[in-house]
Amino acid sequence: MNLIQKFFSHKTRRRAAPYLFLLPFIVLFTTFWAGPIISSMYLSLTRWNGLRPPQFIGFENYARLFSDPVFQKALQNTLIGAVVYDVLLVLMALALALVLHLPFLRWKSFFRGVSILPVTMSLAVVAFVFQLIYSAQGGLLNQLLGLVGAPPRNWLGDPNIALGSIIGLRLWRAVGYYAIILLAGLQNIPEELSEAAWIDGANWFQTTWHVTIPLLRPVLAFVIVTSTIWALQLFDEPWLLTQGGPLDATKTVVIYLYQNSFRFLTLGYGAAISYILTLVIIAISVIQLRLTMTRD
Amino acid sequence: MRHAHRVFIYIGLAIMCVVSLLPIYWMVVSSIRPEAEIFSSTFRPIPSTVTLEHYVKLIQRTNFRYWLWNSVFTTVASTALALLVSTMAGFAFSRYRFVGKNVLFLIVLASVSIPEFVTIVPVFGMMSRMGLVDTYASLILPFGANALGIFLMRQYMEGIPEEVFESGRIDGCSEWRLYWNIMLPVIKPAVGATGIFIFLGSWNRYMWPLVMTRSDTMFVLPVGLATLKSDFIVQYGQLMAGATLSVVPIMLAFLFFQKQFVQGLTAGAVKG
Repeated sequence: MNLIQKFFSHKTRRRAAPYLFLLPFIVLFTTFWAGPIISSMYLSLTRWNGLRPPQFIGFENYARLFSDPVFQKALQNTLIGAVVYDVLLVLMALALALVLHLPFLRWKSFFRGVSILPVTMSLAVVAFVFQLIYSAQGGLLNQLLGLVGAPPRNWLGDPNIALGSIIGLRLWRAVGYYAIILLAGLQNIPEELSEAAWIDGANWFQTTWHVTIPLLRPVLAFVIVTSTIWALQLFDEPWLLTQGGPLDATKTVVIYLYQNSFRFLTLGYGAAISYILTLVIIAISVIQLRLTMTRD
Repeated sequence: MRHAHRVFIYIGLAIMCVVSLLPIYWMVVSSIRPEAEIFSSTFRPIPSTVTLEHYVKLIQRTNFRYWLWNSVFTTVASTALALLVSTMAGFAFSRYRFVGKNVLFLIVLASVSIPEFVTIVPVFGMMSRMGLVDTYASLILPFGANALGIFLMRQYMEGIPEEVFESGRIDGCSEWRLYWNIMLPVIKPAVGATGIFIFLGSWNRYMWPLVMTRSDTMFVLPVGLATLKSDFIVQYGQLMAGATLSVVPIMLAFLFFQKQFVQGLTAGAVKG
């Protein structure tokens, strides 16, 4: 009897164990993520100033998005910024990774260390430093341009180039990091494959283009998806450097939803903006998930 | 490859190093040169005099020591919490069969990339109803549930052979001891790598603490330092001193643990 009891309780414990191990996650996730996402969906269907109770207005906020020129400008900046950033990022990171993978290269760990150093700085700190670099009056970049006799520019104050300047500082921080990720992917490719191509008489470029890059595709897909997801959430740097100006030239979707939620106190509208952007981001990560799954 | 090619490659890498390091050098050098020299019409890479006045002012006149402590405390606490929660959940997903497992894991996968800005308004409302605005709890608790952490932990744990646990079970280990005394020591390196990943994400967080904290003594580094910028006169020397101090601990840790850092940063990419 005692033995049966013991067996039984052991079995029960083993059945209950996974739920108990998951309990902290379930509690925290429900409270701080799942619950708020559902209430955010409701808020996006209301007019709410954060003080009086929210007032249900159906899809009015979503309809307003289509006729709001500021939102459209913000969306345009975000999408153009993401595409330009992604293309330059992938090209530069891939080039750096391929160079760091060259078999004859010396001081590899030094170059790897230097490449990854910028990403250890927080976005906010990078923004502070680049304020000095981009400053129109005596900033580092204009000083360097002065050395070669080029005229100074107002990197953050000129609406035509401000978004480009923001993309530039993001690239400065991220290229090395993504290069290291791609490098890890390159190191996972069996060397016999490229050696076979070498023996068949292919040169470095042919081997890289026809053998290495196709095999690197899953990691490249990961890099593109991850960097896109982060690019769509652009906030810290333009908020700290230009507050979205000049003339909304660096206003992003997240800046606009932050302003609606915490400055203009149009929280329902802010929630609608955040919902649209979240759906885009989740759609992209589902694509990523499928790519990862098929890879395995 | 021919000799000339190699030379070009080293020149290219040298340029890459200059571009990577120059802004970091500029941050440090601007923090130790007189305020009047920070902006200049000509390129002067070496300061005329070295001064620590910005550091002294930063520490004496601002709440920098609070910002630093708040950053350290909330980052360490939320990383520890996230690791505990992630390893427990990863253990459940990798070692047990139970009703609802697939649904729960799909939820984890789907929430890997839920952005913070979509939950921030309701969470802020909830925190203010509970009186938790401007407290550490509002900066730590929400980040205990880290979907990517759970995903990574499950991946690593699946690779551990079941025999290790079977012998533990025969010896009468409780389920908790299987997790704490057998699983955790085995996957310590993976926990470390994931921890670095979570740590950096937390150390760098800006929008969330900007919304959740109100008083100067509760700010974390990025939020506190930004207040030096929002006044009428920007204190660039102090700003760079603060930036340098906030970056140095991370970079030193990076130099010592480069291998683990790289593992942590690439954790999601290659193992995923």
